[in-house]
Amino acid sequence: MDVEKGKTAKYLKEKRPVPKEVTEQLKYFTRTKKSILNALKEGDKTIPQLAEILAIPKDEVVFQLMSLLKYGFVETGEIDDMDEYFYYKIKNDGKN
Amino acid sequence: MSEQMKSLEFDVLVIGGGIAGGEAALNLANLNYKVLLVEKELSIGGKMIMLSKVFPTLDCAACITTPKISEIARHPNITIFTGAETRKITKIEEHHFEAIVLQKPRYVNVTDCTGCQLCEQACPVSVSDQYQYGLVGRKAVYIPFSIASPRAAAIDIENCTLCGACERVCPTQCIDFTQTEEEFLVTIKSIVVATGFDLFDPLKIPRYGYGTFKNVITSMQMERQLAPTRPYNTILRPGDGKMPDNIAYVLCTGSRDKSLGNPICSQICCMYSVKQAQLLMGALPMADITIYYLHIRAFGKGFNEFYAQAQDMGVEFVKGKVGKITEKENGNLILRYEDIEQGKVQEAEHDMVVLSVGVLPNQGISDAFENKKLELDPFNFINQADILASPAKTSIDGVFVAGTASGPMDIPDSILSGGAASAETTSYLRRALL
Repeated sequence: MDVEKGKTAKYLKEKRPVPKEVTEQLKYFTRTKKSILNALKEGDKTIPQLAEILAIPKDEVVFQLMSLLKYGFVETGEIDDMDEYFYYKIKNDGKN
Repeated sequence: MSEQMKSLEFDVLVIGGGIAGGEAALNLANLNYKVLLVEKELSIGGKMIMLSKVFPTLDCAACITTPKISEIARHPNITIFTGAETRKITKIEEHHFEAIVLQKPRYVNVTDCTGCQLCEQACPVSVSDQYQYGLVGRKAVYIPFSIASPRAAAIDIENCTLCGACERVCPTQCIDFTQTEEEFLVTIKSIVVATGFDLFDPLKIPRYGYGTFKNVITSMQMERQLAPTRPYNTILRPGDGKMPDNIAYVLCTGSRDKSLGNPICSQICCMYSVKQAQLLMGALPMADITIYYLHIRAFGKGFNEFYAQAQDMGVEFVKGKVGKITEKENGNLILRYEDIEQGKVQEAEHDMVVLSVGVLPNQGISDAFENKKLELDPFNFINQADILASPAKTSIDGVFVAGTASGPMDIPDSILSGGAASAETTSYLRRALL
């Protein structure tokens, strides 16, 4: 088989279709990422505030927000007056 | 046997690249034996490389592990297969074994990968990161963790959308989706089994609410939160991102419990919980830490002093068996427990609960032995055939056991056990020449 380096994904795609759950998961992440970043563009927010705006459970916000922090879209701000929840802010206008 | 199968020859096959297997491999390699180290994960370093600090010295685990891992990886007498499995081990005669090693595709050419992480940045997928015990996401193409060895990307093919974005940005064109499984026929003179242990899965105790109550986590998840390469910006409740200030530890989760099929003590949970409590008091100076225990087993060198130090720091120790955990609307947790000293059932509220999960046998390797039986002990760890005279000896001559594959033990004991296994292996190999 003649394989073109840097373009090998297509060979596997022919043999192995991408499962629907995988594309659904990608769509979900892209959608959640967009809504978190849009909410943070409006101003710094805590996790409970984001959960309320996005109408998704707080633990899901923790997971997705911390992933965005890891990927470099978001950074940590100050902690609130009660020393309970951190504010998170957008980094580089949401571009990593 | 397939005709294309490549043949390899070594003196010793070490199965498992954790701290015990690594120690055994390194000792043998330094004695000029050729060693093949087979690791099922994408990096060597085992569980120790994932830890924050070690007890009772509070040394940084990564600072001890990384140089050792590096020495193993660079040793000219050690060949390492990561993401690989050992199957079908046959003893042909004394000092002559054959094994099939299955190398799973990583879809990345490790020698060409520079670890630049441009592929990670390009990958659009985000899934749960198993190396952060599910607390945060990772990409479908990813370097397992920052101090991984090899520090090379791998593709999680189950979650990859095959979009090709990683390939397009890779400066060395090391990504290769045409890789397939490869089998090797390995001939060796001796084998060291260092397959380590599994952690107890607390989903098996539904009354503790793990999985349902998001602020109930395992000790390994807390270990990650305490490590410098932690998943969050600081220690937070996974349920709502609040900084906890009243944390409970439930000892013996999955250990010393006949009803769960594991009646034995895991030997490490008391001390790692005491360690985490001390680290938490440093990280969260205002926090209260309570440890619910049956007995504190501080048996090793410096352990009891370490326990006393935690008490002096203000860690509260409650002799009590936790029966049930319930969740309040604010995510706080109510622990219902038998206060053993007072002789009554009590309830206490905490804002986060850590389940100190126990050590279970990592089963399966005994099935790989084809014509000889690798015997297990009553708790399914590898049986030490002559525990006092020759602790690394198994039921098969020429096959030795190292580390927690033989039973629960802490890090110093695992390293000692790796050393013992290498010495006994050397003795066996030398006998071939006599």
